[in-house]
Amino acid sequence: MLRKLMGFMVSNPLSGVISVLVIILVSASILSENFLNSYNLVIVSRTLAFIGLITIGQSMLMILGELDLSLGAIGGFCGVIGGIMMVNMGINPWLSFGLCLVIGTLFGVINGLLVTLLRLPSLVLTIGMAGVYGGLNLVITKGVAITGIPADIGFMGSGTWLGMPVPFWVMLVFLALACFLTLKTPFGRYMYAVGSNLPAAQMLGIRTDRVRVGVFAFAGFLAALAGMLMVARLGSAQPSIGDSWVLGPIAAAVIGGVPTTGGIGTPLGAIFGAAIIGVIKNIIVLIGVSPYWQAMVTGAIVVVAIALDSISRRYFKRD
Amino acid sequence: MFNNNQFRFYVTRAHWLCLALLVVAVLIMPMLAKQAHANEQPLSSSFTGKDNYRFVIVPKAVAPWFDSVNEGAQRAAEMIEAQSGADVEIEYSAPQQSQVAVQNQILEQAIATRPDGIAVDPLDANANRAILQEALDQGINVVIFDSPAPEGLEVSSVGNDFCEQAKIAARRLVERLGEKGQVAIMMGTPTAPNHAIRVRCHKEVFAQHPDIQVIGTAINDDSIAKAQQQAAALMQSNPELDGWVVSEASGPIGVAQAIKEAGKVGEVKLVGLEKLPEMLQLIEEGVADSSVANRPEAQGYWTVQALWQQSLGIKPPDYMDTGVDLITRDKLDDFQ
Repeated sequence: MLRKLMGFMVSNPLSGVISVLVIILVSASILSENFLNSYNLVIVSRTLAFIGLITIGQSMLMILGELDLSLGAIGGFCGVIGGIMMVNMGINPWLSFGLCLVIGTLFGVINGLLVTLLRLPSLVLTIGMAGVYGGLNLVITKGVAITGIPADIGFMGSGTWLGMPVPFWVMLVFLALACFLTLKTPFGRYMYAVGSNLPAAQMLGIRTDRVRVGVFAFAGFLAALAGMLMVARLGSAQPSIGDSWVLGPIAAAVIGGVPTTGGIGTPLGAIFGAAIIGVIKNIIVLIGVSPYWQAMVTGAIVVVAIALDSISRRYFKRD
Repeated sequence: MFNNNQFRFYVTRAHWLCLALLVVAVLIMPMLAKQAHANEQPLSSSFTGKDNYRFVIVPKAVAPWFDSVNEGAQRAAEMIEAQSGADVEIEYSAPQQSQVAVQNQILEQAIATRPDGIAVDPLDANANRAILQEALDQGINVVIFDSPAPEGLEVSSVGNDFCEQAKIAARRLVERLGEKGQVAIMMGTPTAPNHAIRVRCHKEVFAQHPDIQVIGTAINDDSIAKAQQQAAALMQSNPELDGWVVSEASGPIGVAQAIKEAGKVGEVKLVGLEKLPEMLQLIEEGVADSSVANRPEAQGYWTVQALWQQSLGIKPPDYMDTGVDLITRDKLDDFQ
């Protein structure tokens, strides 16, 4: 039994992050009797859904060795565009929803093209693009939320199916798609090749720019999806949607075994990382940690989680 | 005089009569006493409540103004403990970012802990409404503070007349400018109902004075740093600007910083809002002319009172106004 467990730990790159998640889940259920109540589990899974969609996109970019700091701004801007289409222009809510996903994909393509054509570091470029998308958002809305979102799409944000929130199921579908794409297709193998060694991948004849633009586009699509689901959840298009989706997904991906240097890791690991952060944030509110301490406590636990995963990696020499 | 039989008969009748009166008295007195006691102390007799209460306070953000609300809430908890003997826990749970989605998460997590009541300062009534309705549906009492109650939600609210507060500030600025000049408004969070009301009422006062020109409204999202940037930019592009009014507590501190950096202390008048220590310091230094402050401690106190009343099955008033103060340099001692 112990030998089997050790074998799993050695062979499975996700065993470290899963162990940390299990420890945190057990601790959370001991610390607060409310943690395991069904209402709270729905809250945790719904919160994970939004941040999870961004994390999937960001982790795929990190496998390439890239980063997109404008994903939150894309999500917020697409949400506002969707709100304008539905409320001010009277376009069918479902059509607006779909059009916003296309627009989000286009924003991702723009980011990808700028990075590949101009040979710019994605970190710096996407800081600028976050300003562009966030600024356009403010220009259009003047900071005021768009209210009166049709109730038709409310189910996408607030509804539940089989007891779990709809956004959570949506996130699971795209997680499965992302895992299939990265682990089971030639495109996924190219991603790892580009992330491990870009010049070598180019020498092998991989169209590296296409791969990179493709992943930026997919990340943009997922950001727009998260933004629209949040609009459906709130019943209004808030200009501030996405403001808190910038650093969390990167930390989640790192915890989940996707380093910023690229070449290794999976979106599934990143989602486990996002779940660790989500549960920590939930439990510190449930047990009533002072708001002035919350950021520090969350940060410290994240550091411990990364350290534990890193130590376990070195111990079992998985990478 | 009396034979034994007569005496025995007489005594026996009197005895029975007294005994009967005594029995009746014994039966009636407790009932009378209970009634009298009920008339004297109606509240204590209705303490059919629990031995402990837990109320959650959810402000808009982590900020000193809300800490004062929390202090008032703690005072109310002490009062309730002293009066009823029950344990009262105040849980203060502030969103780390001033965003309605984050505030909704905090509210959801608060609902999950099944408190006796939740008090919230809504960041956006439209986007908060569904979650607050969820709390009510689950039998959790809800009271709104520092803001009007969201439309369509039957809950009590505690605050002050935001319009009147803004009008007092705008009138003060108009008076200090001699009823002519260029003015600007610094708005906090545009979606916050109380901020929007204040800006509207500032404009109503300025509109009554033909020689007062409103040259712009900046937005600082409740951030001192952003208020400073916005105010500096607006003063740069409008060098003739004469005065500022603001719609929340962070705005005047940022605006004052911009006035100081531009070297326009005394030249550009600022009528602030609320009574943070920095605000009082700015009045003392002469950077700000005055401030129109509401009473956050009173809001916290009456909010918890309202939640407690609801827990006892008593309906609190729909709206409780805690009032405002105009703080000028000569009245500073009363507020420090």
